[in-house]
Amino acid sequence: MNQWMTLFKKEMLEMSRNFKWIWVPLTFIMIAVKEPLTLYYMPQIIDSLGGLPEGAVIELPVPSAGEALAASLSQFNTFGVLIIVLITMGTIAGERKSGVAGLILVKPVSYAWFVTAKWASSMILIWISYFLSYFLSWYYVGVLFEFISFMDFLQSFFVNGIWLTLIVTVVILFNTFMKSPGAVGFISIGIIVILSILSSSLPHLLEWSPALLSAYANAFIMGSNLPDELLPSIIVSVIMITLSLLASIAIFKRRELA
Amino acid sequence: MEFLESINWAILAPIVIIQLILVAVAIIDLVKIEKANGPKWVWALIVLFINLLGPIIYFIFGRRS
Amino acid sequence: MPVVNIINIKKQFQDQEVIKGMDFQLSERKCIALLGANGAGKTTTLKMLAGLVKPDSGSIVFEGAEKADFRRLIGYLPQFPVFYEWMTGNEFLEYAGQLAGLPKSEAKDRAKELLELTGIAEAKNRRIGKYSGGMKQRLGIAQAIIHRPKLVMLDEPVSALDPFGRREVLELMDKLKKESAILFSTHILNDAEEICDEILFLHNGELVESGTLTGLRTKHQQAKIDLAFKENTLQYAEELSLLQPVSSMKLDGEYASFFVEDIEYARELFLTEIMQRNLPLVKFEISRTRLEDVFMKVVQK
Ligand SMILES: Nc1ncnc2c1ncn2[C@@H]1O[C@H](COP(=O)(O)OP(=O)(O)OP(=O)(O)O)[C@@H](O)[C@H]1O
Ligand SMILES: [Mg+2]
Repeated sequence: MNQWMTLFKKEMLEMSRNFKWIWVPLTFIMIAVKEPLTLYYMPQIIDSLGGLPEGAVIELPVPSAGEALAASLSQFNTFGVLIIVLITMGTIAGERKSGVAGLILVKPVSYAWFVTAKWASSMILIWISYFLSYFLSWYYVGVLFEFISFMDFLQSFFVNGIWLTLIVTVVILFNTFMKSPGAVGFISIGIIVILSILSSSLPHLLEWSPALLSAYANAFIMGSNLPDELLPSIIVSVIMITLSLLASIAIFKRRELA
Repeated sequence: MEFLESINWAILAPIVIIQLILVAVAIIDLVKIEKANGPKWVWALIVLFINLLGPIIYFIFGRRS
Repeated sequence: MPVVNIINIKKQFQDQEVIKGMDFQLSERKCIALLGANGAGKTTTLKMLAGLVKPDSGSIVFEGAEKADFRRLIGYLPQFPVFYEWMTGNEFLEYAGQLAGLPKSEAKDRAKELLELTGIAEAKNRRIGKYSGGMKQRLGIAQAIIHRPKLVMLDEPVSALDPFGRREVLELMDKLKKESAILFSTHILNDAEEICDEILFLHNGELVESGTLTGLRTKHQQAKIDLAFKENTLQYAEELSLLQPVSSMKLDGEYASFFVEDIEYARELFLTEIMQRNLPLVKFEISRTRLEDVFMKVVQK
């Protein structure tokens, strides 16, 4: 366990030296908070761009608080996911590519510790960034529209967080069998996109799909009925996370590192 | 410019501050870093003039990993 | 007692057979040089021993590895060491020490000690990204020995160093020999000659020759006598080469080298001849076989 802490602390130190602890949370905050703000100011923005032609009447439906917060949530699942993949795609692959891994792993380092320390540090960075940004967005929605129950917010936070966790884990998994960070990123994005498209176009076939968790998270803040498939898809996700992590360790052990 | 007047600056201020911090940190890093992934002055332009995204693009692609 | 036993290891990259079956043993407190030309397979051999490359067949058995991770027993310096550029030299050493199983305080002490020993103490708080090639090489050696491994493997430890650095590192290795077995690769024969007890010659993925320095010298002893005269070296040399025990003669600038069958007999004959004719001799040397000669010889066959 001592060694795990050593590995973990190194990851934390690295993330502060390369400013990830500053820019990742701030970026998440920007992309999340931007949504309620633009929705709120949409009428003025349209106005200032020249306004509408005389006589044109368009009814801009005033978005509900739920819709505004859901807009933030959908940002996490597009732009946010992209950032998550980009910052984790090189965490192991990059070290193998550069050759440091060769220096580190000829020391009696546990492969399981090595992989899980990487995973845990990425998780902490992402969950903290995600919480801060989503919380601020919730607050902005409250100020600009109306406050959504904090419990509903928390529940949607955790449900969507499971999906983000699965993404981190899958990127780590590809990290263990590819040497090029670019390839890791490309394949991870590909799989996430395919899974999301399949799940949303065939929801009745893949109703337990982890990719639907973000849709289920929406249900909490929109105040709609919670689907029955929520629990199964959480369970499926947790199983997939565990299996991916175990597979990462097993694959990493068998790799030639040089 | 009634649009600008109608905006509640107290609400927008945090966003502006965050953007400024990101730009500042990116520039400080760019100055201190040994070598960027490409010419430094190009990165400086990107950080300063691409709204919102500039510093993020720099942190992801500009630092040599 | 052997530290590691290497039994018939083979390695193929794509369809190129890089290591074609190799056997050897490394004993405690011995320094062994792995000699070979570029592409001979030195780095591949060391990587296999370090566990970074898996041999296709054969086995590598470390003494004491049944009970514990064999990586505890080894220290390894790659040919081109790469570090975390954002760490300082001191941070990296402490990190490496802790990963190797030292308690934090001991890792700190060892890091300090090794920074001094390898001569990079004044750069210890600088980022490794700003180190020169030679400084990285020294840091690489320090991290390899921080946990006092039984077997230290160094891939070309002195190639990147200036003459002073080379001197220092060779002396360091000489000291290290008292605690650990050292296996190091090089293509600089002088370095091997200077500090090694044993030598392994690698050629095209095969161990073409091995043994102790003196053993190899005797085995490949080539009876050779160098002569130089004040004048007319060519003429005298040609006359002398007609003598019975001379198998060949080669003019080498100022002096002539004679290869002979029996060195004792040839010496007497030469000296008598020279005395009798009163030739203006300025140099008479029975030369030792240099490692370089052995190298050339084993590689050529
Ligand atoms: N990863 C690899 N993939 C394919 N071929 C390789 C690989 N590594 C080494 N080789 C080949 O194996 C052979 C031996 O290489 P190796 O690096 O072991 O030589 P070396 O003795 O260390 O040479 P040098 O003195 O140049 O360092 C070379 O012909 C090289 O092309
Ligand atoms: Mg080599």
